[in-house]
This record gives sequence, structure tokens and C-alpha cells, in this order.
Amino acid sequence: MTKKLMMLTVLLLICTTVLCAQTPKYPTAGGHWAAISAGFGMAIASGLCGLAQAKAVAAAAEGMARNPGAAASIRFALLLGLILIESLALYTLVVIFVQVG
Amino acid sequence: MHEPELFVTQLLNNNLAGLGNSLIGLVGMAPQQRPWANYIAMQLLVVLLTIVLFAILKPRLSVDRPGKLQHIFELVYEFVTGQADEQVGHDGYRYVTYFGTVFLFVLFCNLIGLIPGFESPTMIPSVPAGIALATFCYYNLAGIQANGILKYAAHFAGPIWWMAPLMIPIEIVSHMARPLSLTIRLFANMFAGEKVTEVFLKLTLLFVPTLFMGLHVFVSFLQAYIFMLLTMMYVAGAVSHEH
Repeated sequence: MTKKLMMLTVLLLICTTVLCAQTPKYPTAGGHWAAISAGFGMAIASGLCGLAQAKAVAAAAEGMARNPGAAASIRFALLLGLILIESLALYTLVVIFVQVG
Repeated sequence: MHEPELFVTQLLNNNLAGLGNSLIGLVGMAPQQRPWANYIAMQLLVVLLTIVLFAILKPRLSVDRPGKLQHIFELVYEFVTGQADEQVGHDGYRYVTYFGTVFLFVLFCNLIGLIPGFESPTMIPSVPAGIALATFCYYNLAGIQANGILKYAAHFAGPIWWMAPLMIPIEIVSHMARPLSLTIRLFANMFAGEKVTEVFLKLTLLFVPTLFMGLHVFVSFLQAYIFMLLTMMYVAGAVSHEH
């Protein structure tokens, strides 16, 4: 365990020298269109994410209603699915913050 | 958009600026006037609080008459080991240390932002990136330690050997996407929670921001659990090959 920890620390320290390099900021070409497309992009991502999560919740609720004994596993699968779908919408948000700021 | 400094960061910058400058000099950055950033100070505070918490817990552990703190930590321990057994299988106990650390660290980092005067370090993209990078190194190292480096590299080729030229780029891309998705998921959830509370604070001023802070508590727990769960799944995938 100590050797693994040592290797992990060394790997991380090597990575820090690479990661501390900063790239210069380039001005985004496009101007005010960036804000409009950001709004549309986020709306589309959130809408589709909402539809997908609704399907997941509906299937999970029906499964738990049909088979209450399996509720724990269904709940686990539901949570995992919801989080992974949510993160897809959040990737769009991150792109917006990188572009529009 | 310069963030105003928190109380803890001001303490560190006023008194320990020299230490901060020598630390950032170690990785080659130029010395600055106020080297301690908010998120560094908050992470150190979380580490300090966790150490103090466990230092308070240790002498109170008892088999016959467990106290309240022991009950709480027994819950956490059973939760983490139960999930590790379910995900990783019979070898899960070796990795429980790392899983528990990730869970508690991410959880406390997320929750400390709710206290006024403190900010979640996980709101800054570097902090989730650091934890995700540590997870990436950890699951690869665990896989190499469990299977040997040749067998571990061989499992990138997939189950059928003649599909390897197709499988290897796909597997490499999917492995590269893992720390990226871990980072962005945690960062975006915490950042969005903070921004939403801020916006509603500007709009309505009284009761509505507390609803969003309540939601943020729930999201903090969920995101810490998901980070730990995904770490377990990656370790399970790396370790369980032909074992």
C-alpha cells in the first residue's frame, strides 16, 4: 500500500508541472452571436435532458410499483442514470461558460 | 473578475505569504503578492477539519457503549464498505481507504460552501480536476498491481483478439473521457448551485435562496456519492479482469 501511495504521489507531482502551464486567452470571434447561441444551446440541452430523465423516472416508478421487493436496486439504477444524464446537460453549461464567460 | 478574499485566505496571506511563494516556486510559478488562493485555503481547512474530527472520534470508539459519533461513522463505514463489496466484489476491502477518502473529502468540500464566509473549493475547476486525476492514477495503478502491466494493457484489446485495432482506440478514448467527465460533473454541479443561489439572492432577497441552498445540500451528497461510485466502478473494471 505504501509503495502504491508513493507511486501515486510521484505521478501527481509530475502532472502538476504540466498542468501549471497556462495558455494565453484568445478573444472569441463572433461577438454577440455567442450569447444568443449559448441561450439556444443550453435550452436544447436542458430540454432533451429533461425528456430523458422523465423517461428514466417513469420506467423506474413503474418498476418499483410492479415489484416493490426490487425497489432498492431499481432506486440505485435510477439515481445512477439520472446523474449521468444530468452531467450531459452540464457539459453544455460548461462550454457556455468557457465561451461566453 | 477577482474574487474577494475569504477570512481564512486573508489569515494565510497576511501571515504565511512566504511559505505560499516558496510552494508555488516549487512548480515554477513566479512569486505573487498574495499567493494563497481561496480554494487552496478552503481545501486545507477541510483537511484540517477532517483530521480534527477523526482525532475527536478515535478515543471515543468503544465496543460496549458506542457514542453518537461512533454510530454516525459506523453508518458511513458500512455504507462505503457495502458499496465497495457490491461494485468491486470480494477484493473491495483493499480499496476502501481510497473510496472513503474520496467520498468524505468531496462531501466536506461541497458542504463547506454553504456556511457564510466560506466557499466550496470544488467550485473552482482545478479542485475536481485534481481529485479526478488522482482517481485516474489510482484505478490504473490498482489494475496494474492486481493483474500485472502486460495483462492490464492486454485487456484494452477487448474479448476478441481480431477486433483489437477497433477496440484499442475506443477504449483509450473512453478512458481519457473518465477524468474529464468526473471533473466537469462535480465542478458544474457545484458551480451551478452557487450561481443559482447568487442569482436568486439578487432577485428575491428573502426566502427563495434558502430553498436553493437546501437543494444544494442534497446535490452535494449526491455528487459525492456518484464520484465515489464511479471511482468504484472504474476500479472494478480495472481489477476484476480474469481474477
